[in-house]
Amino acid sequence: MRAYLNIFFVIVRRDLLLAFRNKAEWTNPLLFFIIVIMLFPLAFGSDPTLLKQLTASIIWVAALLSTCLSLETIFRTDFEDGSIEQFILSRYPLLLTVNAKILAHWISAGIPLILIALVTGFVLSLSNQTMFALCTTLLLGTPILSLIGAITAALTIGLRGGMLLSLLILPLYIPVLIFSMLAIQNATVGQSITAEIYFLAGILVLALTLAPIATSVALRIRLS
Amino acid sequence: MSIFSVKNLECIRRDKVLFQGLDFMLEDGDLLQIDGINGSGKSTLLQLCVGLIRATTGTIFWNAENIIDCRYQFQSNISYIGHADGIKADLTVQENITLMHSLSGSPAAVDYPSILKLIGVAGTEKVFVKRLSAGQRRRIGLARLFMTPAKLWLLDEPFNTLDKYGKTIIEQLIVQHCATGGMVIFAAHQLLEMADYTLQHIHLGHH
Repeated sequence: MRAYLNIFFVIVRRDLLLAFRNKAEWTNPLLFFIIVIMLFPLAFGSDPTLLKQLTASIIWVAALLSTCLSLETIFRTDFEDGSIEQFILSRYPLLLTVNAKILAHWISAGIPLILIALVTGFVLSLSNQTMFALCTTLLLGTPILSLIGAITAALTIGLRGGMLLSLLILPLYIPVLIFSMLAIQNATVGQSITAEIYFLAGILVLALTLAPIATSVALRIRLS
Repeated sequence: MSIFSVKNLECIRRDKVLFQGLDFMLEDGDLLQIDGINGSGKSTLLQLCVGLIRATTGTIFWNAENIIDCRYQFQSNISYIGHADGIKADLTVQENITLMHSLSGSPAAVDYPSILKLIGVAGTEKVFVKRLSAGQRRRIGLARLFMTPAKLWLLDEPFNTLDKYGKTIIEQLIVQHCATGGMVIFAAHQLLEMADYTLQHIHLGHH
C-alpha cells in the first residue's frame, strides 16, 4: 500500500515538474482563458448590468475551451517517448498512474483556472452569492473536466490535430455546464443552489470512479 | 525456476501473415535472439510477448499460467525496452533514473554515479536529456536494466544507435544476466560477439 502511494506521488510530482519545465505548454491554455474572457466585454459593449449577468457564463465557457487545449498534452509526450509503454508494463496498476496523471493535470490546469476566475469575478464586482456559486461550481466542475477529458485524450492519443479532441470532448461537458449555469442563475436571484451542487458532486463521484478505468482501457487499446 | 513459453503464436497485420505456428520456450539462463528483415515482425513479436498487443491465435505462458490471467505477477518479472527509450527529454538524467528506479519497484538503493559510469555517460547527472545525443539517450534508456529486479528482459533493437563500446557493455550485461539465471529475448539483425554463450535463434520472414 505504501509503495502504491509512493508511486502515485512520484508520478504527480513528475507531471507537475514537467508542466513547470515546459512553461509555454502550461501557460498557453491559461492565457487563452484570460483572453477569451476579455473578448466578451469588447464584443458586448460596456453595459455594466449586462456584463454582470454574463460574466459567470463567460468564465465557464472559457474554462471548457481552455481545458480542451490543456488536455491535448496530458498523454501526448508520454506516448511519443515510450513512457506510456513503461507505465502499462510496470508492476504497478496502470489505473494508479492514470489517476496520478489526472490529478496532476487538475493541479496544473484546473486550479489556476479557479484562481483566475476568482480575480475576474472581483474585478467585475460580482455579488457575493454569485461569486460563491461560481467558485463552488468551478471547484466541483474542473476535476470533472479533467477526468472526462482524460478518456477522450487517451482515445485520440497519437492522432494528429487537437481539433478532434475538442469536438469529442465539448459535447461530454454539456451536463456539467448546465448544472453550473443553473446554480449560478439561482444564486444571482438569491435562491438555494443545493440541488445543483449535489448534482455536480454526484457527477464528480461518478467520473472519479469510472473515468480512470475508461482512460486506462483506452490507453491499452490505443497502444495495441 | 521460471519458464516463459509461447505456443502456436500467430500474428496477422494488415491482412499479411507475419508469422504462424510459432513455438518457443525459455528457462533460466536462456538467451534468445529474434532476427529477420525489416518489417518481418520482430517488434510485433516482442510486443506480443509482453502483452502490449494480443495475438490472433496462440497463447503465452509464464510458469504455465497465461500472461493475460496473471498480468501483474508477470509484469513484475519482466523488463521491456522498446523502440522508444521511455525517458523524458525535459527531465535531467538523474531525475529520469530516479523515476525508472521507482517504477522498477526494486527495494535496493541505486548508486547513480556508478551506473552512469558503467553505461559510459559519467558526469551527466544534472544534464537535461534533450541535450544528449541519440546514442546517449539509448544508453540511459538501457540503464533500466541495471536497476530492475526483473527476471525476463525483452529488448527491441537494444544496439540501435549505440557505438561499438556501448554495444559491448550491453552484450556483457545480457550475458551476465543470463549467467546468473535470468532470461533475455532480444531483437536485432546484427550478429553478436557473444560466441561463448549458447544462443537460441528465431528467424522471421522468408530469407
